[in-house]
Amino acid sequence: MYVLRPTRPADLSNIEALAHASPTGVTSLPADHDTLHRKIQASNDSIAAEVSFHGEESYFFTLESVSDGSLVGVSGIVASAGFNEPFYSYRNEAFVHASPGLSIHNRIHALSLCHDLTGNTLLSSFYIDKALHFSRWSDLLSRARLLFIAQWPERFAESIVSEMIGVTDQQGSSAFWDAVGRVFFGIDYQEAELHCGVKGRKFIAELMPQHPLYVPLLSDDAQAVMGQVGEDARLPYDILTREGFETENYIDIFDGGPTLYATTRAIRTISQSQLATVAVGRAGPHAYLIATTRLHDFRATVAEAEHRDGHIVLTAEVIAALGLAAGETVRIAPL
Amino acid sequence: MLVRSIRQNDLEALLQLARSTGVGVTTLPVNEERLSKRIAGSLAAQASAPNPADSSFVFVMEDEERAGHVAGICGVEGAVGLTEPWYNYRVGTAVHSSREIGIYRRLDTLFLTNDLTGAAELCSLFLQAEYRRDNNGSLLSKSRFLFMAEFPERFSRRVIAEMRGVSDETGLSPFWESLGRHFFKMDFSEADYLSGIGQKSFIAELMPQHPVYTAFLSEAARAVIGQVHANTRPALAMLEGEGFRYNGYVDIFDAGPTIECALGDIRAVRDSQLLTAVPAETTEGRNWLVSNRRLDDFRVCLAQTEPLPNGLPLKRELIDKLGLEPGSSVRAVPLSARR
Repeated sequence: MYVLRPTRPADLSNIEALAHASPTGVTSLPADHDTLHRKIQASNDSIAAEVSFHGEESYFFTLESVSDGSLVGVSGIVASAGFNEPFYSYRNEAFVHASPGLSIHNRIHALSLCHDLTGNTLLSSFYIDKALHFSRWSDLLSRARLLFIAQWPERFAESIVSEMIGVTDQQGSSAFWDAVGRVFFGIDYQEAELHCGVKGRKFIAELMPQHPLYVPLLSDDAQAVMGQVGEDARLPYDILTREGFETENYIDIFDGGPTLYATTRAIRTISQSQLATVAVGRAGPHAYLIATTRLHDFRATVAEAEHRDGHIVLTAEVIAALGLAAGETVRIAPL
Repeated sequence: MLVRSIRQNDLEALLQLARSTGVGVTTLPVNEERLSKRIAGSLAAQASAPNPADSSFVFVMEDEERAGHVAGICGVEGAVGLTEPWYNYRVGTAVHSSREIGIYRRLDTLFLTNDLTGAAELCSLFLQAEYRRDNNGSLLSKSRFLFMAEFPERFSRRVIAEMRGVSDETGLSPFWESLGRHFFKMDFSEADYLSGIGQKSFIAELMPQHPVYTAFLSEAARAVIGQVHANTRPALAMLEGEGFRYNGYVDIFDAGPTIECALGDIRAVRDSQLLTAVPAETTEGRNWLVSNRRLDDFRVCLAQTEPLPNGLPLKRELIDKLGLEPGSSVRAVPLSARR
């Protein structure tokens, strides 16, 4: 059994090891000691803060094995994208070039650098040990964030976005980057991602194109991967699309991966979640995501349980793992 | 050889000439209505009061030894872009630099502009292949400078010339294939033709409105930006010798350079002088362009001569060819700058 909880300063070295294993493109999870330290600290501070409207907060969670205490994954939420530093996307828009006299009607797509997604809540930093891919635990790692948002909605925006890693080849290079970013940066994709994760994104403004880029002028390879989800993002993409997230006309400026979008209250886990009172008993027939409603001791797990008459019947083992006692309130959603 | 103002009855000769130009001379399309209008325009310009907006002059080169066969054409506009928009790409520079991560990138950009609106334009230069010898090309092209020197009030101060860009034997332009085709969905020759017959609104309707980074064009396309077609190199060298320079404006279809010079700075305009035609049995010296100074029946010939204190010695038959009498005033300039 695994339990999701906020990261603590003591987790730093273990999380650093996870970050080293994570693929390029998870820009919000760079394998950099100081950056990770700040991330954990920011999460602690955010939980401790009185918040009435979403702002600079960010939350950083980890998935811990109940049996041996090892950490197998991380996930994060940025309350308000672009609050501390600009949040860039390419907006893929169509321009109609029409000449009635010549009977020509072209829809030409162009990529414009934009800040349109600023202020949305951002799901970020998702990484889980390969052995747990497409298991209930990968769902837990991603969706427990949604229970957290459902419980404290004032801390988050009315819509949520998440950037999916785009297509890269086995050497870790990106056709989109090679056709677009390299023109303006003159450096490799991996190097750019590293700069971005460690030094922040303000240098993007200095280097990225000020004018829209006409898509037909990009290489075929680059056009083919625009808005496409890379191998490493299949899992988060699968989880979030099941939740009702959809692709919009926004793609990542580095690798061309899609940015998913959903209205917060329409997200499946959030809309289906409800509060229930904990009761002790035997494992039930249905699997539920179960999260505590204590901000300062947020924990979540998945268990077979029975939900009836406002009560959720959990085994003593599950109750202990969540640090609960019978009679306390939890937020649940069907797995 | 004689360069003279075009006449009403030159239409048939002009059509034949147009058929032999091939792709790339946008102001000489094989279109009877259009060519007929150009002749009418030139005749009207001769008759109108001085105003660059009304100046559209066409001259032809005739071979008097072949009964006045029309071997070439050239034109000059007083001010372009005043009735239909005039487009160029300006080749600009964008520097993308981040001190923090140690990156400095310099990128070329193409901006669609109407910057050259109002400039006078040298246009429509074409000379049949068999006549490209014995300074005929220089005579034809530079004859316009004596006209402009004579009637400067009819031309804008800024003078431009669009040079034909690079295309292969089949008329394929690498620049067009990499850029224009995506937006126009037609062949270069078709776009070129439409532009030549004045249907320019389609350019505004279909062209990219945002600047284009040249880094997104093919290698072949980038290589020809600001470059002339091999056949146009002599014409470019000649105009450069007259003071014309490339200032970063190129054609929107084939990226050939548009070169420019201030009217008064053109060598043949600046150095031209008024002299008296003095009849002589024989003359010798450098090649001189000699014009008759007339607006309605402008004529220019080449003469090998040198001015004397009493005027410019010219053979009697040359004075006749210019439609002048001994003692008439001529405007003349050496064909080429002294080296």
